[in-house]
Amino acid sequence: MGPYRLQRFPSAAPGIALLARLGAIVLALLISALVLALTGAKPGALALQVVTASFGSQFGLEDLGLLVTPLIFTGLSVALALKIGAWNIGAEGQFYAGAFAASAVGLFLPVAEPLSLFLMLLAGLVGGALWILIPTLARAYAEVNELITTLLMNFVAVLGVYYVSTGPWRAKGANSTTARIPAEIPEFFGSLHWGLPAAVLLALLLALALARSRFGYEVRLAGSNPQAALYAGLPARRRLIAVMLAAGALAGLGGMVEVAGTVHRLQGGLSNSYGYLGIMVAVLARGSLVGVVFSAALMAFILNAGIILQTQGLTTSTVLAVTGLILFLTAIGDELAHYRLVRDARA
Amino acid sequence: MIDLRTLSRRGFLNMGALGAASMMLPAGVTRPALAAAPLAPVKEEEAVVAFSHVGPISDEGWTWAHHQGVLAVQEAYPKLKKVLEVENVPYSADATRTFRQFVSEGASVVFDTSSKGDFLYEVVKRSPEVAFLECDGHTVEGNLGWYYIAHWYPTYVLGVAAGHLSKSGRLGYVASFPVPSVFCSTNAFLMGARSVNPKATLQTIVINSWFDPQAAAQAGTALIDNGCDFLFGIMDEAAYLQVAEKRGVWAAMWNTDIRRYGPSAYVSSIIIDFRKFYVDQVGKRLAGTWAPGEFILPLGGGVDRDAWGEKVPKEVAAAADAVRDKILGGWSPFAGEIKDASGAVRLAAGQTMSEKDLYDWDWSIEGISGLNA
Amino acid sequence: MPESPDAMMSPIPRFMPLPGTPPLVEMKGIAKYFPGVVANEDVDLTVMPGEIHALLGENGAGKSTLMNILTGIYQPDKGEMLIDGYAKSLASPLQAIAAGIGMVHQHFKLVQAFTVAENIHLGWAETPIGASAPVLEARTEVLARRFNLETRPSARVSELSTGEQQRVEILKVLARKARILILDEPTAVLTPAEARALFAALRAFVAEGHAVIFISHKLEEVLEISDRITVLRGGRKVATQDAADCTVKGLARMMVGRDIVLADMRARPQGAGPLAAMPVLALDKASTDGSGGAVALKDVTLAVRPGEILGIAGVAGNGQRELSQVLTGMRPLSGGQLLIDGQAVAKADARAFAKAGIGHIPEDRLKSGLAPALSVAANAVLREYDKPPVSARGMFSPRAALALARSIAEAAAVAIPDFAMPVRNLSGGNQQRLVARREMRIASRLLVAAYPSRGLDVGAINTMLRYIVELRDAGAAIILISEELEELLNLSDRIAVLHEGEVMGVLDNDHIDIERIGLMMGGQRQADIKAAV
Repeated sequence: MGPYRLQRFPSAAPGIALLARLGAIVLALLISALVLALTGAKPGALALQVVTASFGSQFGLEDLGLLVTPLIFTGLSVALALKIGAWNIGAEGQFYAGAFAASAVGLFLPVAEPLSLFLMLLAGLVGGALWILIPTLARAYAEVNELITTLLMNFVAVLGVYYVSTGPWRAKGANSTTARIPAEIPEFFGSLHWGLPAAVLLALLLALALARSRFGYEVRLAGSNPQAALYAGLPARRRLIAVMLAAGALAGLGGMVEVAGTVHRLQGGLSNSYGYLGIMVAVLARGSLVGVVFSAALMAFILNAGIILQTQGLTTSTVLAVTGLILFLTAIGDELAHYRLVRDARA
Repeated sequence: MIDLRTLSRRGFLNMGALGAASMMLPAGVTRPALAAAPLAPVKEEEAVVAFSHVGPISDEGWTWAHHQGVLAVQEAYPKLKKVLEVENVPYSADATRTFRQFVSEGASVVFDTSSKGDFLYEVVKRSPEVAFLECDGHTVEGNLGWYYIAHWYPTYVLGVAAGHLSKSGRLGYVASFPVPSVFCSTNAFLMGARSVNPKATLQTIVINSWFDPQAAAQAGTALIDNGCDFLFGIMDEAAYLQVAEKRGVWAAMWNTDIRRYGPSAYVSSIIIDFRKFYVDQVGKRLAGTWAPGEFILPLGGGVDRDAWGEKVPKEVAAAADAVRDKILGGWSPFAGEIKDASGAVRLAAGQTMSEKDLYDWDWSIEGISGLNA
Repeated sequence: MPESPDAMMSPIPRFMPLPGTPPLVEMKGIAKYFPGVVANEDVDLTVMPGEIHALLGENGAGKSTLMNILTGIYQPDKGEMLIDGYAKSLASPLQAIAAGIGMVHQHFKLVQAFTVAENIHLGWAETPIGASAPVLEARTEVLARRFNLETRPSARVSELSTGEQQRVEILKVLARKARILILDEPTAVLTPAEARALFAALRAFVAEGHAVIFISHKLEEVLEISDRITVLRGGRKVATQDAADCTVKGLARMMVGRDIVLADMRARPQGAGPLAAMPVLALDKASTDGSGGAVALKDVTLAVRPGEILGIAGVAGNGQRELSQVLTGMRPLSGGQLLIDGQAVAKADARAFAKAGIGHIPEDRLKSGLAPALSVAANAVLREYDKPPVSARGMFSPRAALALARSIAEAAAVAIPDFAMPVRNLSGGNQQRLVARREMRIASRLLVAAYPSRGLDVGAINTMLRYIVELRDAGAAIILISEELEELLNLSDRIAVLHEGEVMGVLDNDHIDIERIGLMMGGQRQADIKAAV
């Protein structure tokens, strides 16, 4: 046996965790490159294409920013609920509910633009919170698993938005959208709007609030071990309700920002599965609210790369396979980060 | 069977006659080109042409038909620097990303083969050097035009056949969305049928999708259960044809020749063909003569009926084809008096709908149920 | 212990290996290093067929590491292993099981929602494919009879007592044809009666030529059950001796390297005032509903005064959990009254109780006293997070929390390298010390200590008990719930005996009769015993 061994440590050093992540991404890209090369594509040129198209042009940066924004909101929604031990699988539905409520205000409440935007924001928050209300109460008072209830609420919201945008609210002549909502979130970089800085700021503020408030401590304790919360006598149920509603409101706000900043109309395909991707974002962030910003950025880059690769003639399935590989290896990398090479302590 | 290629060529030969009858020309028909400065010519070797599709090119329907156009462009201009083609572009902000990507790649002309509306205009506004063409669009800008097919004529012809073939006089329609192309399609179809059987009615089921075999099959079954013995629709797949084949009723389809899914039930299809149009537009863009406009490809010049199904009686086919010839000769079936579903007269006797009216048709005529604006 | 081991054991003939029979297990010169830690070095262990071999040592003495090596979880850095006389390297737990080595861990690894029969058959190559529940249950019944381990095959594990769960774990290992059974602290969770039943089953098992390795801190019990004893200290072997040649004192000295006195701690410091008359806390005919089939409390009447230690004796699972929850405001009463300083308390509110100066060392520290995944600092401030300096006006100060955590760790004499690491990374003993110190800080009126020495080694137990005495001397009342009679006798002023949720009687510790406590633990009332005597 050599003088060095691999040993698992209960917690990963942040530097190593970061390295493992980068390693995982590089490895995934190398494997993908190998497979692409075998099928006759030119991986080097494709990679260059992806990088230059993502970061080398204003259009690319705008696209990244527009993709990151909703992912931060839904990622925060899922990560926040996880803080109190709840799995919010329903960020998709709350996103739609928020977008729906905001659109209702934006379309049918004839007020001046700044006021309209503000009311849309409130409507988005309330819409998202309302959409998680039933799962929240069911979990808090009847111990009904929120995993299933929040998921089921998604279908109701998605189909509901689909219905109004193809039915009663459909703009004349349009396939499946409402009319354009007059109030718009101002843009500051091409079509990139203030929703992105707001999302990043929100992540920082939420992280700070959780770390630096009594409420936050109680949430962490109750989320980490409900038994200990009972033991400490803290109002765990009230905290659960507050946090889950806030999680719903965050996703709803994401829907409002998407509709008022990016899409400008309520329609069926409004969310590109941002709610479900938010689960992945939150898991990749490993419970860190600030980490959500970075994992959302990674996810946005992957999604954007997918679109770029499609214009290069790669099929959707190839792109999905590469995406899956990156996430899969990232998960393995996260686990491997717990291992360190140690020297035997032999005297 | 009629060879599609011959058919389109014949269609184009007829164009002069159509023009004389104030019908559509494939160049800026209802509105003259805007007086913007034309885009500078591009060398073929340096030109990038891009297409965004709604479905997979293997769908045997709408997207497949557009893909034939892409192939034709590649054949006509083999030296093009790049031809970009993206499938399955959703109607969402992802569409904007795809168009932006086309522009980043240096596209000279971008075809959106299924209207993406705002998601396209966003990019159009910021890319004045790129020519955009939106299929089924509504907006013309300095660098944006739209195009579509005059599907209402062959649809009327199929309606005539349906009027002969349907014993019950109850026709069924599997609709995607309550949008103008569907209103126009249902109306033209029923008008054709009523020209033979004035008591004919059309029941519509909206399934909110262009491609959902399961929903289309369910809708087809429900329509037949309601007594319909002729199914028509506007789907990018063959599900209700298979239902019709199984239940022993007639069916007419859209996009391409898919008779093998129901050879006995198959009556005909609305066949679409964008090859000539795409080659033309790319050619003009390269030459620096491209101008935005509204292009509605005429009967025989991008849209037509398919060869009749094997079980369709010769005399029915002949009767319908006689109407087709009449239309090719300049006659329009869409003349007053036309009443809407509530019985109110919407087009007075003696008036004729323009191509633009037909394209924007958004109300149902008397006799149609299940479709509300 | 009142009875000698031989008197208790059923007359099962000892298995005598033939001369020249190789040991079942022979570990030679085993070493295992972790960064900065010598977990094992130069350890020899020989286990003969037919023997129960005790492995004794303080927390961190290297017992678990050695057993993890024997069960294939760790690879030794040095040394060799012989099974049945043949050198063998066990690269994985599966290989260890194949070699006939099975281990029952302190924390059970059963699927709570499955039945006993399903757990027994889970992941077992011999499970018949597609067998119905009755078939699995019948097979389990046969196994249970063969190994003399009574179970209820159709019951769900979540409905079982800890003792029953342990039997299922053992049965699971034995069913897989283990010849060497390793038990880690098996009696920590058992009532005395259950422990006796376990010992009988172990005797029967080794009588067939198998062997048991028995890990424990409890010296009496080790003397009672084992044939030979190996003592580890600081990762090294101190000695292996025949149990017959050992004494409690001698073993304790070998374990800790110094003399340990378990003695009467009831003496109050000089000048301590007389006990106040007014109880800090009293229960008056208190009843409560049980949860999950557990025994509820029925008409419990108790009182504890400042400066007094009230011991609660009884076989585990007779309402101790509910009692400690009632006493700390975690569980509402369904009848009767709870009085603090003579005032009836209407509402069970754990936070209000803590604020009133009632501390609680819970029965299961990891499950309810701590949030295992949160940092040491976050756990240390659990009782004081909501008041200055940790919190002020809704704001939480991580710096103040860290300072408080440091002072608690210091008082507990626990060295913590990193207060941000999850508390589950601490050893069980250190967790227990932290919880105890945290609770003592707030327990100005009353400390409810449930099994405070469970899972601790001799040295740590002594420290823990000293803490409790300190607190008593400072004038707080103590309610000490324990299954260790000695501990109760050493500390308590009075002892109440709990049986099926009822108090059988409260005895003054001055002239106590162990026999009588035993009878009360078995369900006889104090009054009835008096009448009978």
